[in-house]
Amino acid sequence: MKLNRVRKSAGYAVIIVSSLVMILPFLTTLFNSLKTYAQYTAVPPKWFPSPIQWSNYSEVWKLGPFGQYTLNSVIVTVLSVGGALISCSMVAYAFARLRFPFKNTLFMIVLGTMMIPPVVLIIPQFVIFKSLHMLDTLTPLWIIEWLAQPFGIFLMRQAFLMIPKDYEESAKLDGCNPFQIYWKIFLPMCKPTFATLAVFTFMTKWNEILSPAIFLTSKENFTLPIGILSMAGQWSGNEQYMVAAALMSLIPILLVFLFAEKYFVQGTNSSGIK
Amino acid sequence: MGDQPLTPRSRRRRLDSDSKWGLLMVTPYIVHFIVFVLGSLLASLYFSFSHYDILNAPQWAGLANYKKLFHEPVFWKAMWNTIYFTILFVPLQTILALILATALNQKLRGLKFFRLAHFVPVISSWTVILYVSDAIFNPRFGLANSFLIKIGLDPQKWLQDERLVIPLLVMIAVWKGIGYIMVIFLAGLQNVPSDVYEAAEIDGAGVFRKFMHITVPLISGTTFLVLILSTISTFQAFEQIYVMTGGALDASSAGGPNKSSLVLMIYLYQEGFTFLRMGYASAIAWVLFVILFILTALQVTFQKKWVHYE
Repeated sequence: MKLNRVRKSAGYAVIIVSSLVMILPFLTTLFNSLKTYAQYTAVPPKWFPSPIQWSNYSEVWKLGPFGQYTLNSVIVTVLSVGGALISCSMVAYAFARLRFPFKNTLFMIVLGTMMIPPVVLIIPQFVIFKSLHMLDTLTPLWIIEWLAQPFGIFLMRQAFLMIPKDYEESAKLDGCNPFQIYWKIFLPMCKPTFATLAVFTFMTKWNEILSPAIFLTSKENFTLPIGILSMAGQWSGNEQYMVAAALMSLIPILLVFLFAEKYFVQGTNSSGIK
Repeated sequence: MGDQPLTPRSRRRRLDSDSKWGLLMVTPYIVHFIVFVLGSLLASLYFSFSHYDILNAPQWAGLANYKKLFHEPVFWKAMWNTIYFTILFVPLQTILALILATALNQKLRGLKFFRLAHFVPVISSWTVILYVSDAIFNPRFGLANSFLIKIGLDPQKWLQDERLVIPLLVMIAVWKGIGYIMVIFLAGLQNVPSDVYEAAEIDGAGVFRKFMHITVPLISGTTFLVLILSTISTFQAFEQIYVMTGGALDASSAGGPNKSSLVLMIYLYQEGFTFLRMGYASAIAWVLFVILFILTALQVTFQKKWVHYE
């Protein structure tokens, strides 16, 4: 089939060009992070660093805040992922399997609030956390994830609806209450959906900029994305350190993506579900 | 949902236990809704009709904030910048992502690598992207200017250039987000039956005609969804512009030279969190909310006209 061959080569051409456009800027950045300051600011620029200055990556850690920023990011991300998994799955189980007053109304509200732009809620959020004396702490960044966000509820509910009824019937006869059924039977059966929600929450929280920019004021409380930017003053004359710091902040999420690509793809597709 | 028939008594007891446990397990969301959605919406509406500086209690001001807003040239500039950004960004990203997805939607070797390559920008924070784009578009030692000089053209100021800043930010945003939209389109394309394409090939349709007459209409549902979601999120663009125009170091500098890339969310952020004019900022938020509501309603209305259903 000649036509098919043509189509394939056209497809390859488009994809290879596009992949280069994606990857080459990152490669350039990687090279920049290994340059001396003189090379980094050389005009005209040299693409490849020589000599390769590996020490940029260790120098970054010698400045106090970078380790602190990493720790802050880890704290926020881990607590957020935990909160999203527990709260969303618990609420989703109730929606998928239990009958309770106002259930349908409440679920319509869940779907409806997905459409509310976060911008309207930001200022009241700030006021709430101010009155709770939580401004300039990491708490506002993760506590909200313990209150079941709509996307996670929706995702987990879809997974729970797929589980056949027989599983819980026998557990009920054994005298398990709904919470025990959820905890012992439903949670272990939906690991893939948990992984999807986990990687998505991880990605969102690890990269988040708006919330930290609003809730945090002291430098020592910053998370990586705004923390790195705030180090510009300390590193003037050594800006290549900032490039190294930024690329290091990408490593954890890159690893998660390499090992859990499947779940990223699943999550992306379910974010496109009505 | 269907219960098997039980004796009335046990049925009532089951329901009671269900209700009790159901309400208990749904509590996190109820708290979320009452405090962070319903309460926040009402509070934000009240703030928008008040003078409020966070430090003192809100003072009722009627329509003052809205009147001031509609007479404020900076607001209209921010509005235009936001619309300009969205009009460039949404169609460009959607069309390019669809072309990429179509190219990827066949049995190719190295598929996993290609998908990874397109997803690296998606999983990067805007801080990472700042240094990646700086490697190319730094006015002094970036690759783009060195290339322009090589081929005998004038170097550009890129993000410091009033005319270039929004198109360049759009280009970078498309580059960053396209992998995500591509994956959504790929899922849509999996649902297009291959025999439709085969039938078209027998009729002698070329690549372009198949794309226009089969692919585009058959995944119009996905396209429509992508358009709505992109429009809503682009109208609230904040992080990219905050990071790439220096807002993290100096909030008042966000928005580029001569406010040429000041979008509504940056304006709101500066008014509310830099100058503590929370009432005025809430009014901006509500204007944004109403616009987004209208946009969504319009798109849903148009959907009936041009989305193709099987």
